[in-house]
Amino acid sequence: MKPARSFTPWLFMAPALAMFGFAVLLPMVLTFGYSFTEWNGFGPMTFVGLDNYLAAATDPIFRGSFVHVCLYIAATLVLEVLVGLALAGIVSAARGRLWFRVAIFAPVMLPMVVVAVLWSFVYNPDFGLVNATLGAVGLEQLQRVWLGDPATALAAVSVVSGWVYAGFYMMIFYAAFRQIPHEVLEAGRLDGAGEWALFRRVKVPMIRSVLWVGVLLCITGGFQGFDLFFVLTNGGPYGATEIPTTYLVKTVFRNGEVGYGSAMAVVLTVIVLGVGLAYSRIARRRPRPSAESGDEAADAQVGPSALLQPEGAGAGERAG
Amino acid sequence: MNRKIARLALVGASAAVLLAACGGSAPQAENDHVLRIAMGSPGDAQIRVWDDVAAQYMAAHPETKVEMNYQQDDLYQTIGLPTLLAGKNAPDVYFEWTGERLKQRQKDGFVADITEQFTSGPLKGLFTDDTLKGFSVDGKTVMVPYSADVTNVLWYNKALLEQAGATPPTTWDELLDACTKLSAAGVIPITTGNKDLWPAGNWFGHVASRVVGEDVYAQTLSGTGKFATPEWETAFGYIKQLADAKCVNDSANAIDDNAGAQLFFQGKAAMHPIGSWLVSWAIDEAPDLDFDYVNLPAMPSEAKGNQDSVIGVATGYIVNAKSPKQKEAAEFMALLNSPENVQKLIEAEVTPLAISASEGQEIDGRSASLSSLLNNAPAVVLPPDTGYDLKTADALYAGIAAVLGGQATPADALAEIDRTLGR
Repeated sequence: MKPARSFTPWLFMAPALAMFGFAVLLPMVLTFGYSFTEWNGFGPMTFVGLDNYLAAATDPIFRGSFVHVCLYIAATLVLEVLVGLALAGIVSAARGRLWFRVAIFAPVMLPMVVVAVLWSFVYNPDFGLVNATLGAVGLEQLQRVWLGDPATALAAVSVVSGWVYAGFYMMIFYAAFRQIPHEVLEAGRLDGAGEWALFRRVKVPMIRSVLWVGVLLCITGGFQGFDLFFVLTNGGPYGATEIPTTYLVKTVFRNGEVGYGSAMAVVLTVIVLGVGLAYSRIARRRPRPSAESGDEAADAQVGPSALLQPEGAGAGERAG
Repeated sequence: MNRKIARLALVGASAAVLLAACGGSAPQAENDHVLRIAMGSPGDAQIRVWDDVAAQYMAAHPETKVEMNYQQDDLYQTIGLPTLLAGKNAPDVYFEWTGERLKQRQKDGFVADITEQFTSGPLKGLFTDDTLKGFSVDGKTVMVPYSADVTNVLWYNKALLEQAGATPPTTWDELLDACTKLSAAGVIPITTGNKDLWPAGNWFGHVASRVVGEDVYAQTLSGTGKFATPEWETAFGYIKQLADAKCVNDSANAIDDNAGAQLFFQGKAAMHPIGSWLVSWAIDEAPDLDFDYVNLPAMPSEAKGNQDSVIGVATGYIVNAKSPKQKEAAEFMALLNSPENVQKLIEAEVTPLAISASEGQEIDGRSASLSSLLNNAPAVVLPPDTGYDLKTADALYAGIAAVLGGQATPADALAEIDRTLGR
């Protein structure tokens, strides 16, 4: 039915649109505008054309920051997604899973700044837990200045990230595993498959769509990483953990180079969008398992929508 | 099609207007009878004094409300103050360091000429002419003096030095000798927490000024000439010498200033290069620690600077040139510097510059000695981060950290500083 007044729907949408425009669109437009200027945030603004973009392209710290964030993402794909998947497999197959799940998921509920401060004590080279433990078990030769050595700093930060988010991905994958029809798993067991074979050949293929979402979340979340790096290393030592966000914040809020920082923000946004779009295309084009391949799970994949369903909901009995 | 173009033009014009509106500076405010005072957080003890002075002022001037704004230190030093100054309710009085920062504020039009307030206004007779000279630009007094801080001296644990058979070092060679003895005794010779780069940056900034000379130091940090010169390379060579001799804690570049100080407070390290604020900090956190200080040890004979120089900075409060409440601001600052309130500041471990600071309440012996050190210094060196452009300071600090951590040679670190600064 056509509404009596054509502008009525707009009236209902106006508050949301106004909020979106004010909180998202306007800052984006302004940031884009500032990126063509030289401005310290409060003084006179000078139009400099593409100078800021050219400076960003030739800035080795900015370029290096993308290398660091890519390494960080690669590490977190293993430490968060892969470990999360393994934990989900263990939880779904083992007894006493509730407390295990709670224990693994608990770090996700802590504010990242709290986590970072906590781990800065753990990594403290003089009285931290890691070096103290290594010393106590006679492995003094492995003691390091974990956050002060460029060879270990990025890995040390990635481990903390993995400690936090492995639980998050575990819950996602565990929820997806719960949506797998019980009959499929029973059929596998009747065919003589053990838990490992079920996990590898049935469960993982059936939650492939969720896995793709997990990987996308991990990649885009990696580009947005900031607080952990800021508190633990602040981009150091010697720039070894400088990522685009920490460098951007220093540029804008410490050096007062709003124009240059805005150009970096635009470049970062474009790259994240590009990666996201490319990833979506790859995900859409990925080869689907065929009947010839013998993959029975092909037609019964659990999609991301399964995550929205409460535990036990859906058709029939679910796997546990 | 034309309508589409017109819409696009409208959107573009709106964006341009918004851009211009957001980028413009705030117009001068009318007198709303709210006196706004901004500073980096000076710590609980000083905040209590400031709040008390605000209450005294409001009791004497019921028509005026005093609003105190204590920002986190780093935030205030970087984007905090500029944001406040650009805002609608800009502070009428704000904390600032002397040096390049003061000049920048003046250039931006946020510094009032308050000479008259010292000659015939409420601030008359509260400071000596000598003191006011340090807060004047082109013969005009532009700041109300507050305190003078020594940015870096070498604090030492008396007992640890004695046990190791070392004496408080007054020359570079004595420092290296003390390092050897302390290391042999199983004690970290020097601790610094340099994760945020300024602690060792200020320390070795002072070393550099002693080696290259105060003038070259000031010129290079002000943007004249390159860092990659033989003089600066010699200066950075001393950083490498200390690093090679294992004088400084391995964790230096991994821990922050607080963690660095804790090694000193807990007796794990014998010496700690940091500023005058360590006194009140140590009294709170390590009341049993027996400690004292020496100024930066004299560098070897090839050094070109004054070997008795002190690195320090005077701080004060600027009255905003755009404030319509300059009279109230001067009255408030006069009240803060009254003999009674100055004594309260001294109790809060401040070393005020007001004349009355020398009367009544006794300052901690070490604080008094530091104050005397600064006042009688034959040359005062400004710290890179508060005395000069922050980007230059950061580049210098990063170079220092790289040499201290064994990640770069002095020559490479200096070349990198020049590259970062586009020199």
